[in-house]
Amino acid sequence: MKPAPTLLSVVNQVLANKRRPAIAALPPETRLREELGFDSLDMAELTVRLEEAFGVDIFAAGVVRTAGEVEARLPAAQP
Amino acid sequence: MRLMSKNILITGVSRGLGLAIARAVVAAGWTVYGVSRATSPEFAALAAAAPGRVKFCAFDLADADGVEKVVFGPEFAGLQVPLDGFVNNAATAYDDLVSNLNLARLQAMYALNVFAPMMATRQFVRNALLHGKGASIVHVSSISAHTGYKGLAMYASTKGALEAFSKNTAREWGARGIRSNCVVAGFMETAMSGALDEEQRQRIHARTALKAPASLESVAATVVFLLGEGAASITGQNLFVDSGTI
Ligand SMILES: NC(=O)c1ccc[n+]([C@@H]2O[C@H](COP(=O)([O-])OP(=O)(O)OC[C@H]3O[C@@H](n4cnc5c(N)ncnc54)[C@H](OP(=O)(O)O)[C@@H]3O)[C@@H](O)[C@H]2O)c1
Repeated sequence: MKPAPTLLSVVNQVLANKRRPAIAALPPETRLREELGFDSLDMAELTVRLEEAFGVDIFAAGVVRTAGEVEARLPAAQP
Repeated sequence: MRLMSKNILITGVSRGLGLAIARAVVAAGWTVYGVSRATSPEFAALAAAAPGRVKFCAFDLADADGVEKVVFGPEFAGLQVPLDGFVNNAATAYDDLVSNLNLARLQAMYALNVFAPMMATRQFVRNALLHGKGASIVHVSSISAHTGYKGLAMYASTKGALEAFSKNTAREWGARGIRSNCVVAGFMETAMSGALDEEQRQRIHARTALKAPASLESVAATVVFLLGEGAASITGQNLFVDSGTI
């Protein structure tokens, strides 16, 4: 069985597509553009991957900049 | 064969050019996800001849908002289906003199010819981003956008909008392997052109090098070419399949 996706696992998928190394942790204050180097197309890909994994469009309610802001828009993790 | 298989979303598949494109896509060994308001005996026959490779969704594309929920919903061409191609073919032609322009009819035509395909492109690009294997968009445009015909100013403007949208989509998403092109069709013998009388047809044909309508098969084959690997380096283009308009 595939492990349940997390924001970290989805971010690492986008990084892998950019041929960039995976990160081990994603503190809430991490800025996606400045620190992870995500450009607008990467942000679009992140949006779609999160929508597929969690069923929500993180940009629907306005721009997000940090990992914490994204996390806040995702449904709470299942125990 | 399975390896080369592609999933192609096509609008307006019940008759005319869309049906010809669906047939050509099936003949290429690919799978059709077809949309129109209703099916037809011809489309049903195609589905019967290629079991499992012809899917259908009855939907009125005038409802641009429903494109995301229904056409790209989990029951049809949702994120669970890796899409390889999108053919924007369904359209309507509202024909009148500019001096008679009716806003409600103009808006209805734009909903189907422009807004629905733009919303569909939004969802298609999202699908392609998720599956990450490149994809091809083909818009069916019209020679009227390039030459001008009395009565077609409003209709031609919808095709001009699509051509500009296609060019910019190509530029924006090329880095992700998503291509976008237009096939600029000349006059074809379909229901859309059915109201023209013989004299009008002859006048239109006289404006072409081949003195003939564009064949549905030729236009459909060009669409299939643009969807396939042979067109891997072609994007942002308009290909004219118009019997050589002069
Ligand atoms: N015929 C020409 O001379 C010519 C020339 C240049 C370009 N074109 C372009 O070629 C394309 C195909 O045209 P055609 O001649 O094949 O037209 P057509 O014979 O009128 O067929 C139009 C198709 O679109 C579907 N459609 C129409 N309204 C729809 C709606 N609201 N929602 C969903 N589907 C809808 C129709 O099915 P339903 O009625 O079942 O919905 C039908 O399958 C169009 O983009 C047209 O602008 C045509």
